[in-house]
Amino acid sequence: MESKSLSRDCNNPNPDPKMAFHFLRALLHIQQSAATTSFTGRRRRIKRAAYASMAYSSGARRAWSRALIHTLRRRRQRQQRARTAVALPRRIRVARPPRREVAAADQAQVLRKLVPGGTGMEYCMLLEETADYIRCLATQVQLMRNVVDSVTNS
Amino acid sequence: MDMSENNKFGMEKSNGDGMPPEWQFSNPAMSLVPANTCIAAGLATPLTSSPYLPAPMVDALAAGHWNHNLRGECNILSTTTAISSTPIGKPITMSSRGMILSTAPGIFPTSLPHFPADSAFIERAARFSCFGGGNFSGMNLFAPSQSMAPSHRDGMGVQDLKTEFHMTENKVGLLNGSPVKNEIDKRISHIVIANSESHDANLTEDGQEGNTDSTDAAGNSSPSDLAVNKRRKIIQDVATDQADRGLKETTKENAESKQKVEQNTSRNTGKNGKDSTEAAKEGYVHVRARRGQATNSHSLAERVRREKISERMKYLQELVPGCSKVTGKAVMLDEIINYVQSLQRQVEFLSMKLAAVNPQLDFSIEGLLAKNILHGGSSSAIVLSQEMIYPQAYPPHQGLMHTGISAMANSSDTFRRAMNTQLPTSEYKESSLQMHNPWNDQLLNHMTYGANPPANAQ
Repeated sequence: MESKSLSRDCNNPNPDPKMAFHFLRALLHIQQSAATTSFTGRRRRIKRAAYASMAYSSGARRAWSRALIHTLRRRRQRQQRARTAVALPRRIRVARPPRREVAAADQAQVLRKLVPGGTGMEYCMLLEETADYIRCLATQVQLMRNVVDSVTNS
Repeated sequence: MDMSENNKFGMEKSNGDGMPPEWQFSNPAMSLVPANTCIAAGLATPLTSSPYLPAPMVDALAAGHWNHNLRGECNILSTTTAISSTPIGKPITMSSRGMILSTAPGIFPTSLPHFPADSAFIERAARFSCFGGGNFSGMNLFAPSQSMAPSHRDGMGVQDLKTEFHMTENKVGLLNGSPVKNEIDKRISHIVIANSESHDANLTEDGQEGNTDSTDAAGNSSPSDLAVNKRRKIIQDVATDQADRGLKETTKENAESKQKVEQNTSRNTGKNGKDSTEAAKEGYVHVRARRGQATNSHSLAERVRREKISERMKYLQELVPGCSKVTGKAVMLDEIINYVQSLQRQVEFLSMKLAAVNPQLDFSIEGLLAKNILHGGSSSAIVLSQEMIYPQAYPPHQGLMHTGISAMANSSDTFRRAMNTQLPTSEYKESSLQMHNPWNDQLLNHMTYGANPPANAQ
């Protein structure tokens, strides 16, 4: 377990302080600026903040975190572009190719869809990234639970 | 390089030091010719013949976990110890036993007179069982056995001894499977006893070695590894060739082997050998075929890959709760997928919850930070908060706060961005920062630590 033993960022028992800091700051930001935002909008932003803090805690070291950051940024750009874009181009928008129903019989394929950036990985790397991703996800879930508990209790 | 190449064949140490005088390096080609023929013949016999030999060999060798499905081509090479070329001294004994099979049926038109008495041979065999890369000074036998060199360098010492032994015993008849095997079994019994202990150790360490070797690949690319790998490749090719095509090919190989050894090896190993040697030079993963397993380069690489995958699967098993009892890749993968999906669903659910309770976050965010950091319990967390509080050292001016923030060496991009976005609310932040006064003492203790960015750079 050479590489795995080296990754200490997302530890199950110890929520990464970097992650906590980033997430809480994002929460604060959302809470302050989202006074009028709808519930769904807030939820989406909180979810994005959660994934962003997860990705930032691992930085560029992990393939999945890089892919996640990239996806988040792209989504954010698309949102911003959609906001400023004119309504007209929507009709001329290029139709996305019909999504082919890929039989998810292959578990590796399913896993690839779940783990960010998994489509471009070979199986060995996929397993490694999955392990790290699971660790970070668990840490993030723990962190969010703490936040919720502290908020609801205080 | 010729000498070193020759050394590989006969010697444990690939460096030129250990050239025992007995070895006749003057005629490397000559010595190698019989070796190749021997090996070819030796390989052929177990290959062509059914598991007759392997079975008794296996028993004799007392290799507990050794594969009893000795496929033809796998037999010999598998016996070459499941080494991952790291420590030379380790697995050789196993390979030596295996090599006996292969090398026994050799045709040694020359060099037979070199063969020492049996007792001396056995002594040497016993001595070589603890190969720590010992030199072959005592291996008088090896003039002819050198020819058989192309087996593993490490194990070759013993193997050569044994093969020599067998060869002298059964000269021509070795080509046939059965008589040879009987003799070989007898011979092996001696050596088995001598090597049994080391074998067990070797066997148990094989898997670990494989892994460690893969990790130590860079560091262990010593000439010994080179030689080992080369020999392995050579043996592999010889074995595979014979397995596939039978004796004819082996004879062809023998004919080829009459030419320069290096060329021979390079030709035989072809793609494999060159790759392995180059790989060894570059510090790639060194893998040896285990007993009873295919020694094709493809299958070896596959095995390495499979081992990697299984290692990662084990790690995932630890990670995913409740998966310790699950066995099998498919079920394990299902569990992993379910777990990832459940975690993602939890994130979504919790974010929904947080969105619902958001209005209450105003005053409790700092408390949350404190609580979460205390949950984490690491001092680095406190240092992180120190970054927030650091501006407090300056008079609470917005400008100074900005400078204080910008002066923080630790600022990651996100941090800066966040702080910039927070600037409009800096006053709020200042007031919130005041809450951290009780932490100042701790922070002062961690000042030096905090000076260095606790968080890893992104």
